Amino acid sequence: MFDWLTKESVLWIVPAAPLVACLWIVVVNQFVGRQRAHRPLVVAMFISWLAAICLATTIVPEKFAKGDHGHGEESHGAADHDHAAGHEHADHEHADHEHAAPAEEKTPADETTPEETTDEDEEESGAENAAVADSAPPPMAAGAAGDAVPVHEESSYGGELPRGVTYPVGNHAVVKFVYQWMKVGKVDVAVTLRADAMSALMLVMVTSVSLLVAIFAGGYMHGDPGYPRFFAAMALFVFSMCMLVLAGNFLLMFVFWEAVGLCSYLLIGYWYKKPSAAAAAKKAFVVNRIGDFGFILGVFMVWVTFGTLDFETLFGNPAFIPQVLNGIDPAIITTICILLFIGAIGKSAQFPLHVWLPDAMEGPTPVSALIHAATMVTAGVYLVARCAPLFVLSQTALGFVAIIGAITALLAAFTALTQYDLKRVLAYSTVSQLGFMFMSLGAAAADPVHLMQPAVTFAMFHMFTHAFFKAVLFLSAGSVMHSMGDVIDMRRFSGLKKVMPVTHWTFLAGAAALAGLPLLSGFWSKDEILAVIWDADRVPGYGLFFGAILAVALLASLMTAFYTFRAYFLTFHGPERFPEEAGHHPHEAPPAMAWPLRILGVAALLVGAIAGPTHLYAHYLHHTPGLPVSEPHGLNYVMMAVSSIIAIAGVGFAWMVYGKADRKAYNVQERYSPAYELSLQGLHLDAVYQALVVRPMQALSELSETLDRLFVDKLVDAVGYLPGIFGSLVRPIQNGFLQSYALVMLLGLVIFVFGVLRAIAGM
Amino acid sequence: MLDALVEALKGSLSLVLPDIVLLATVAVVFFGAPFLTDERGRSEAGLRHRWSWLALAAVGFSGWLWYQSTPVEVGDGPFRLDGLAWFVRGLSLATLVVLLLVNWNQVPDGASAESIGSLLAIGAGVNLIAASNDLVYLFLALELVSIPTYLFLFLPRRDAAAQEATTKYFLLSAFSSGLVLFGMSYVFGVVGSTNLQVIGQALAAGQNGPLPMLLPVAAILLIAGLGFRITAVPFHFYAPDVFQGAGTSGAAMLSFVPKVAGFVALIRLLIPSGWMGPDAQTLANLTGPTVWWLAVITMFVGNLLAILQTDVRRLLAFSSIAHAGYMLVGFQIGRETHAGIDGIDALLFYLTVYGAMSLGAFAALIATSDESKRYETIDDLGGLSRTRPAVALLMTLFLFSMMGLPPTAGFLAKLNLFFAAWSQGTESGRWLAIFLAVNAAIAAWYYLRIIAAMYLREPAHAENRHQEPAASVAMACCALVVLGLFFAPDWLWRAISVVS
Repeated sequence: MFDWLTKESVLWIVPAAPLVACLWIVVVNQFVGRQRAHRPLVVAMFISWLAAICLATTIVPEKFAKGDHGHGEESHGAADHDHAAGHEHADHEHADHEHAAPAEEKTPADETTPEETTDEDEEESGAENAAVADSAPPPMAAGAAGDAVPVHEESSYGGELPRGVTYPVGNHAVVKFVYQWMKVGKVDVAVTLRADAMSALMLVMVTSVSLLVAIFAGGYMHGDPGYPRFFAAMALFVFSMCMLVLAGNFLLMFVFWEAVGLCSYLLIGYWYKKPSAAAAAKKAFVVNRIGDFGFILGVFMVWVTFGTLDFETLFGNPAFIPQVLNGIDPAIITTICILLFIGAIGKSAQFPLHVWLPDAMEGPTPVSALIHAATMVTAGVYLVARCAPLFVLSQTALGFVAIIGAITALLAAFTALTQYDLKRVLAYSTVSQLGFMFMSLGAAAADPVHLMQPAVTFAMFHMFTHAFFKAVLFLSAGSVMHSMGDVIDMRRFSGLKKVMPVTHWTFLAGAAALAGLPLLSGFWSKDEILAVIWDADRVPGYGLFFGAILAVALLASLMTAFYTFRAYFLTFHGPERFPEEAGHHPHEAPPAMAWPLRILGVAALLVGAIAGPTHLYAHYLHHTPGLPVSEPHGLNYVMMAVSSIIAIAGVGFAWMVYGKADRKAYNVQERYSPAYELSLQGLHLDAVYQALVVRPMQALSELSETLDRLFVDKLVDAVGYLPGIFGSLVRPIQNGFLQSYALVMLLGLVIFVFGVLRAIAGM
Repeated sequence: MLDALVEALKGSLSLVLPDIVLLATVAVVFFGAPFLTDERGRSEAGLRHRWSWLALAAVGFSGWLWYQSTPVEVGDGPFRLDGLAWFVRGLSLATLVVLLLVNWNQVPDGASAESIGSLLAIGAGVNLIAASNDLVYLFLALELVSIPTYLFLFLPRRDAAAQEATTKYFLLSAFSSGLVLFGMSYVFGVVGSTNLQVIGQALAAGQNGPLPMLLPVAAILLIAGLGFRITAVPFHFYAPDVFQGAGTSGAAMLSFVPKVAGFVALIRLLIPSGWMGPDAQTLANLTGPTVWWLAVITMFVGNLLAILQTDVRRLLAFSSIAHAGYMLVGFQIGRETHAGIDGIDALLFYLTVYGAMSLGAFAALIATSDESKRYETIDDLGGLSRTRPAVALLMTLFLFSMMGLPPTAGFLAKLNLFFAAWSQGTESGRWLAIFLAVNAAIAAWYYLRIIAAMYLREPAHAENRHQEPAASVAMACCALVVLGLFFAPDWLWRAISVVS
């Protein structure tokens, strides 16, 4: 029945469904059934979700190397050559299939010691890699690829490049060519969808969270005058996000990187009549531009350096990047990586560009849950993970990633300690958790070759679990807000656990997972991040650096547990109090909101336990082409014990301060201290920016305005006179008299003839 | 003997079948018109609609024939149907449709037959320029464009301004035709043949004749004569006066059709078909830096003088001069690029896009005016966004395209030229690219002035409910092309790839 789903068509169904929903809402629901505008989105998200599941479970695995990932010895099955590129490569693939066949036959004889196997494999993988590269092979001859693959052989590479790297062999991405926008000379811009293990997992996450949030929003936004507009923007966002994940080249990724930014802007400023919402939308947009500038420069550098932006060419064949870089200044790759990472800093709200995210909470809460917690802000992590084959070549850039991640994680966690706006607590928590993910990615700096794979795996895994528990936290907060009459200030309500039992339990589930209580989602993913930093710490020469990072990570974990449960106790425990906006009978969420909460709550508890210790997630992700292979990563029991103790300590501390049933009403004045103030104001960073960036900018603009009036204006005026002067020179000729026109034409002719004759005579 | 001649004739004529259809229609129209007009040159109301429908049908039939045809190998006959001829025929037939729509209500009923007939003749002339394989036929085809143009400019309005404009155009055009003919005679004198194929091969083989100096002089004469058609500076002087004086449909035609004619003739004469390697001698490489200078001067003069204009059509005239400069950049790059974009391909892309945006802008001007009021100055367009929002929006689209902003085809067209010039790899090519970019920036100034007037000022005129359905359709078609070629440039590229 669903046979047609197993084709590559599934690839375009994932983004197409929300796009159709968006168009439908804009064209139809704008006029008819305005209050039913959520239905197209929910239906589309359901289709999209099914397609993503199908993609992740059947279509992408078809392209994996047969057998396990490992060191390649089993991988000669070389995946099926099932028109991976989907267009015009069929013949080549067939040829390469035959080419690879002899290698296949030899395999059984090669079961020897690991060292020998590796050597043998490297040589054979030349043939294999040629086949891999063929999915989109423009600049490389197959023979050249074969020569380049034994990376661990001496000499041909500079010191910066990794030795002894093994890459998974025979892993393909599913590529669906959609549309050739332009192809002129060297400029080749195509719309290509590309799914590999990494993007398939990301898509599953994006579509599941989107589906649940769409259902939730149907209840939450009920009765809002801009109902269709909200869902149209949501649908556009989901489309853009899916396209961002599926993008087959950097340019397409950039386009949709901007598109999700645009949707974020539209949705933060959804209540555009509220000045604070409009200002927050503008801030988010402007701050993101800074990051995007870095990103586009990075993309440009990639194009200049590698001559292509196509992911399949860049990452599909592991030999491609080292081969191009051979003999090029290693600073170039560092620059590229740091520029790309600046893009990630903006989108993922990392220090120093994190200031937009807390303000973005002005948007409707489902938006905060979907865009500003689960999906869009993780695009930065995805970008760095996607470019792991580039980052693996630059320890400097990875170290930079680790430092930024650590600063952000600590700073945001510290700020979250004292916020009294529930959504802002969660926003800072998001920033902090994203910092964790970048710390994990940066941990590979110690030994890129061996640590890159676990670093990427655990960052992506934390992103996966974080999406679920942060979504449930935000949606629960939204449910609280909905019932409290849009009041979200924790000083004004408390003891809601009796009134809102469902919300209470789901929030508790999310909070427990976020705090990293043992055996819940956050525990597994955070523990693995700590483990990989621990591994980095043990690499000789990096002990101090990663020791500090590890200390920061542990401290931030402690704070995480504390602020999460502080928010929980303040909201759901203590004396029962409601703000007057809530009316007399605060109500529990309607079913449309309650059911997504329940599902997400369960997911928040269990996703980590299902996919973490079983290594389901890791083994799947390892099939991403271009990701270097390293030893399987065992559980680190020391770290597990330490992080359990920290989590329980944080929760216990929060209970001691805020959990007592007879505690007094929350009062800021009583708790005043310099440290408290520092945290409440987010280290005064907004003020610091005001003083360091905005004020000097204003002063500069005033100065330049003065200069402008006195000097530049005059200069521009002078330039402005040029056409006039020029015109007055030419106008006597342009006088309307036929004979002077003919005369000047003749003069021109004579001058040209004279010029050419002189040039020839001079030769 | 006779049979062989008939066969040769049939073979030749089959190459120009679509043009014969057009010319036959011209004959019918010219022959029939006097019977439907009284002695004072008046006829029953609504006759122009019937003539226009007839002309559209003829163009449609011609287009169908064109669609059936495929390029064939070039022989030694008078005509050819190679890639360029095929491409230009498609372009000029599409242009004819738009121009017929633009011209629909611009001519009084009594003169409509002549106006429409000369328009069709102009279209056939453009086709024949591309299809000719012989200097003589090429010259005749050029004249087939020029002579009906005089008529076409004069018919819509017969006031003093139009008379003056037409006379100027007539005299200077005759002068430039003389230059072309002079240049052609030199080429014939050196090579001893009028066949373009033979000439190209002789030049490539380095047979420069007893007087080698004649060839560069001939090339300059050809460039100067055809430079008049494409409004290259200093052969551009007529353009502002004529655009302003003649009717709007005449200006629309003049802004585009002579450029197609001029550039196609230049390509035919100076860059022989059949790529003969980078070192083969062509007339184009004999002229040294002439075209380079021509391109630079044309860009700068066009843009700088456009800034000073207050009359919209005069402004569009200078803008059209500047666009000719951009296209000359492509011509200068020629077929010499190594790995980048071919200059001639970029030129043809630009030419097509320019046609859509220029004709669209003139169609918008026609759509805003009625019989009593013509929109002359930028001030007249003030507040257009409120009185005619749709027209203002499309006009803005065309102006954006002329500026080269995305998402319009004008952006891609400029980008192609820029890439072509930059990737040529020579210093002079890079300078051309830089001058192109500088001029694109200068040009934004005066286009934005029009947009600002349309959107920011109070309406200059009372609301007018006059509708020009035909011009509106033309405008919509052009808008479709301008937007469509941004999102699907490959359609045009595939057509252009037939050329080279």
